[in-house]
Amino acid sequence: MSARKIAALVWFLALTPGLVVLIFMGPADFDSAGAVLNTAGRLTGILGLSMLLVAAALCCRVPGFDRPFGGLTKLWQLHHRIGAAAFLLLLAHPVFLSLAAADVSLSTSVATLFSNTPGLWLGWLALLSMMVFLAPSFAFFGLPGYQRWKWLHRLSGPAIVLALIHTLLLARTLPGIWNWILWTVFLAIALVALGYRWLFSRVWGRHRYLIDEVHTPANNVVELVLKPLGEPLDYVAGQFVYLTPYDKNLEAGYREEHPYTLSSAPGESGLRIAIKDLGNASRALQSVTPGTEVNIEGPYGDFFPRTEDGRPELWIAGGIGITPFLGRLRHLAREGLPADLHLVFCVQDESRALFLEELKTLVDRIEGASLSLHFFYREGPLSADFLHRHCPDLTQRHAYICGPVPLLHLARKLLIQAGVPQHCILTEEFVLL
Amino acid sequence: MKQTAFAAFVAFWSFVASLGALYALAGDPSPAGQDLPEVSMEQVAAHNTEDDCWMAIEGKVYDLSDYIPEHPTPASVLTPWCGKEATEGMRTKGYGRDHSPAAWGMLDEYLVGELAEVD
Repeated sequence: MSARKIAALVWFLALTPGLVVLIFMGPADFDSAGAVLNTAGRLTGILGLSMLLVAAALCCRVPGFDRPFGGLTKLWQLHHRIGAAAFLLLLAHPVFLSLAAADVSLSTSVATLFSNTPGLWLGWLALLSMMVFLAPSFAFFGLPGYQRWKWLHRLSGPAIVLALIHTLLLARTLPGIWNWILWTVFLAIALVALGYRWLFSRVWGRHRYLIDEVHTPANNVVELVLKPLGEPLDYVAGQFVYLTPYDKNLEAGYREEHPYTLSSAPGESGLRIAIKDLGNASRALQSVTPGTEVNIEGPYGDFFPRTEDGRPELWIAGGIGITPFLGRLRHLAREGLPADLHLVFCVQDESRALFLEELKTLVDRIEGASLSLHFFYREGPLSADFLHRHCPDLTQRHAYICGPVPLLHLARKLLIQAGVPQHCILTEEFVLL
Repeated sequence: MKQTAFAAFVAFWSFVASLGALYALAGDPSPAGQDLPEVSMEQVAAHNTEDDCWMAIEGKVYDLSDYIPEHPTPASVLTPWCGKEATEGMRTKGYGRDHSPAAWGMLDEYLVGELAEVD
């Protein structure tokens, strides 16, 4: 099943309670403006809660669970969209109910929002918590710091519990037993997912590694070589992991997990991870010392397809976005596999062409592989002309793009304009939202 | 997505603030402050049929005769409460759930008196 179909299925699951509710509605629920508004108020509440629970379930981060969705980044995007829909619906929910009550009187309309019943106050607390934990996700007050965002997002747990109690106290649309069945099923899905995330993955889902070597391919990039202390990670080229360093001397990021792409080939005795200085934690890792213990959780991502259909490939990498391609090239060279691929490596200037010597060597060793370099300072943004010049048969190829978001959008646009079908273009974003 | 969420966030608080302002300006139109006749429980008990149905709810007396046909459930659910102290029925709807603030607000329309206190 395609990633798109699976995403549609998840949306359908989130919408199911709304459909169930419709079965129990009658003409009386739609016979006046007040009744329609009241129905809308109840429906938005029910759908908002089910979407909130589905969004919670999607953040479970089970290695492998993300692959049918097209990788963890795509799964996060789905989580983000469903969460956003839940937020919009839950904002509309009290507004509709209050407007519906205006049919009776203004004081009833106010009482719908502020009467002194526990159920109502729990609903308010849930909604206010939601505003707090979603404020960074939607950049209400500017772009947030990664750790503060993650920390605030934990408020989603209490918010969900409050919203559920609010619903069980005040719900009046579904008959009692149906109400319990519906929310128990959705709660169970969310609890299993969150239980995995907060218990299982912390205790059993992590792999212990030791930083064995630290290489510096450029002045703001390091490549860590890790050796396993326990069971090694099983992964495919191009996947990424969450890395948690345990070095108190680090300037930032001690015991904080951050996602990084693996640059090693599966089958190597250890892992290699290339890290560019892009934030506090990744900056601190530039000076990490060998001997530091780290935890690795993963693997995640589904950048390269599992089955080869023989179609040649065009790879477009920008800056540190070279890492998944580097991992794949190392893998192909290590296994002695031929591959009809052309890599376009886009960088600002020669000094930013990371791993260039190794890339050239790998491309020479792999039958059918070729490489061209695109320098921004010399040629400006990537152009259709450049792509056609270096890869004349690009419309016949599967395209893989990884790099900064502007390059991602530009490359995708150029390829679509050139006639590459949408489904033949795969991207891997480094930015989660 | 970010703009939509932020717009909805602003719109929500604008609505709450407007409603609060409107309420503050318009005042509380509920008849609570008016002088209402005192009605004894005996008087309430005399109106105990579907066509002539009074109920005592939280210290007030309501004539719900005209409302019974409008109520979402069949009349038989309400008529047992006619002529009686019906706070429990209002608060629990029979399976533990309170009526909505809108339902409570609708009651005002049917208010006929204050329940006389029993010594």
